[in-house]
Amino acid sequence: MEKVLTEIAEVTADPYGYVAGLKERKEKKVIGCFPMHIPDEIIHAADLIPVVIWRGNEPVTWGHAHVPPYDCGITRSFVDDAVRGKLGFMDGMVFHVRQCLQAGEFPFIMERHVKPSYQKVLYLPALYPGDVMRDFTITELEGFKTSLEEFTGKKISDDNLNKSIEIYNKNRSLLERVYEIRREKPEILKAREVMQIVWSSMFMLKEDHNKLLTELIKGMEAKTVEPEKDKIRVIPVGCLCQTLQFDILDLIEDLGMIIPDDDLYIGSRYFANQVNLDGSPLGALADRYLTRTPVCPTKGVWQVHWGDEAIKKMRDNDARGIISIIVKYCPPHACYYPDFKSKMEQEGINAIMIEMEHEIITLEAIKTRLQSFVEIIGGV
Amino acid sequence: MAIAIGVDVGSLCTKTVILDGGNNVLAYDIMRSGHYYKGAAEESIDNVLKTAGLRKEDIGYILGTGYGRGAVSSADGQVTEITCHARGATRLFPGVHTVIDIGGQDSKVIGIGDNARVTNFVMNDKCAAGTGRFLEVMALALSVDIGEMGDLFFASDKKVEVSSMCTVFAESEVISLFAQGHKKADIAAGIADSIARRIVGMVGQVGLKEEVIMSGGVAKNAGVAHAIGERIGAKLLIADEPQIVGALGAAIIASERI
Repeated sequence: MEKVLTEIAEVTADPYGYVAGLKERKEKKVIGCFPMHIPDEIIHAADLIPVVIWRGNEPVTWGHAHVPPYDCGITRSFVDDAVRGKLGFMDGMVFHVRQCLQAGEFPFIMERHVKPSYQKVLYLPALYPGDVMRDFTITELEGFKTSLEEFTGKKISDDNLNKSIEIYNKNRSLLERVYEIRREKPEILKAREVMQIVWSSMFMLKEDHNKLLTELIKGMEAKTVEPEKDKIRVIPVGCLCQTLQFDILDLIEDLGMIIPDDDLYIGSRYFANQVNLDGSPLGALADRYLTRTPVCPTKGVWQVHWGDEAIKKMRDNDARGIISIIVKYCPPHACYYPDFKSKMEQEGINAIMIEMEHEIITLEAIKTRLQSFVEIIGGV
Repeated sequence: MAIAIGVDVGSLCTKTVILDGGNNVLAYDIMRSGHYYKGAAEESIDNVLKTAGLRKEDIGYILGTGYGRGAVSSADGQVTEITCHARGATRLFPGVHTVIDIGGQDSKVIGIGDNARVTNFVMNDKCAAGTGRFLEVMALALSVDIGEMGDLFFASDKKVEVSSMCTVFAESEVISLFAQGHKKADIAAGIADSIARRIVGMVGQVGLKEEVIMSGGVAKNAGVAHAIGERIGAKLLIADEPQIVGALGAAIIASERI
């Protein structure tokens, strides 16, 4: 178990180096997919390496010439990495531009300044009632598949696609098993380790990641841990598109809280919902995207309330509070949050919102706020 | 012993309160924190002990709070200033439901339930605009003593607008207002109002529920307190010594832990 965790920690410490090395070893092209909804099974089936684009680890420099400072961390960081040539190993890029206002900027910037060999723009729909959006989504995915076939010069058969979906489904099941064990014994992994496990799945080949997870799960199942009953169970929610600063997760734990489950993008949201393999693979991929839960503000889902989902997760895990983590300048999350907050207030839930930014992280202030949250829950 | 001490190590000042077994204030101390928080905390504890005529062996529990709460080396525990201000405020004014605390480099608004416990709060987390440090810089720009600034507010007959929230930009704005021929008193009133505007936004987030207490060093500035009261439309309760509200709350929690 420790060996796997060390390997995952190393991989996530330098995703740039890892993916560049992977490309060299496998002699395959790399396609970056902007989070959160690109069905990268199709890229995998095209015999390419799909990676979910990540927020970099350096302050934004040249990127400021291309995107305003009021764009979110991953937008500015990704553009910065791209225009500085740090993403030279990425042969292609895919963007779902209806997802948020900022995502719409990428294709133009990349086309003009980075010129990847392959670029695809997807328009996945908001989830309005009715069937029309399913047809629309399938048409979009067909176009995506065709563009990849033109790029590689090879057809993507339904068989290939089904095999890729199977590998991805396996990865989702394994990640779900990791979470299941964590729910039973939350002390087994640090929150940062859990995030590293999910994050590494986003840029490792799923076949490789599945092997690591299988070994990890064996270790987790065998390991006994001492329950820390005095810890306050909390559920972190949100942090769409990007990694949460590990320091914040450490802080949550240092202050006497423990995370038995989460509702984070680089967390349970990433592997939620399998792809049904009974019908056409593209239809099945469309159906997964069109699933309303976990509620995502970028899909415009109002029929199910995100707050209700979070509260259910909190109660299912005997947790006593919800920590919303909002990436500064994330319009979809910021638009949804007032409703989420009202729901917490209506239901009398202990809830707090922490805002995180790419460059600036005022840990002392966050510490005071989180410690006060613990004191409120603990009745000090 | 049932002697309890609360030490509030703030970015500008360290405040200490000592309580006897009946929760009566025996003594308090306020001193500059300086750059060595550990030393300031211990010196402040020594000061209250001396004033109260007690020795270290008499202490039952010491609780640290404030920005430097982790630096109180003799503390038996630590609690945030948010919780401590709520507890101190309700001890001073039992009907209080909202605390506006403006300290050296942070400002917060705290909502309190009927049980004297914190229900919600907001605090500035990135910028020190509208805090004690902001006022110090503004006093320098106006060439007045910080203590005189509050009185200057009431000498104003035509408040000017200071639009900048940023301390550095506000300083430049004050200099250009001087250049435009505005009076010191009118600029001081504008500065007080700029702080009040910022606080109104924070009060709106927590939800105004009377009674309202203002605590922290900035509460000593009558001009700022008046401007905030006017903006939020509520009377502000201010303790005789508003700087020690957090330390008092810390001492009360300390006494409960003995």
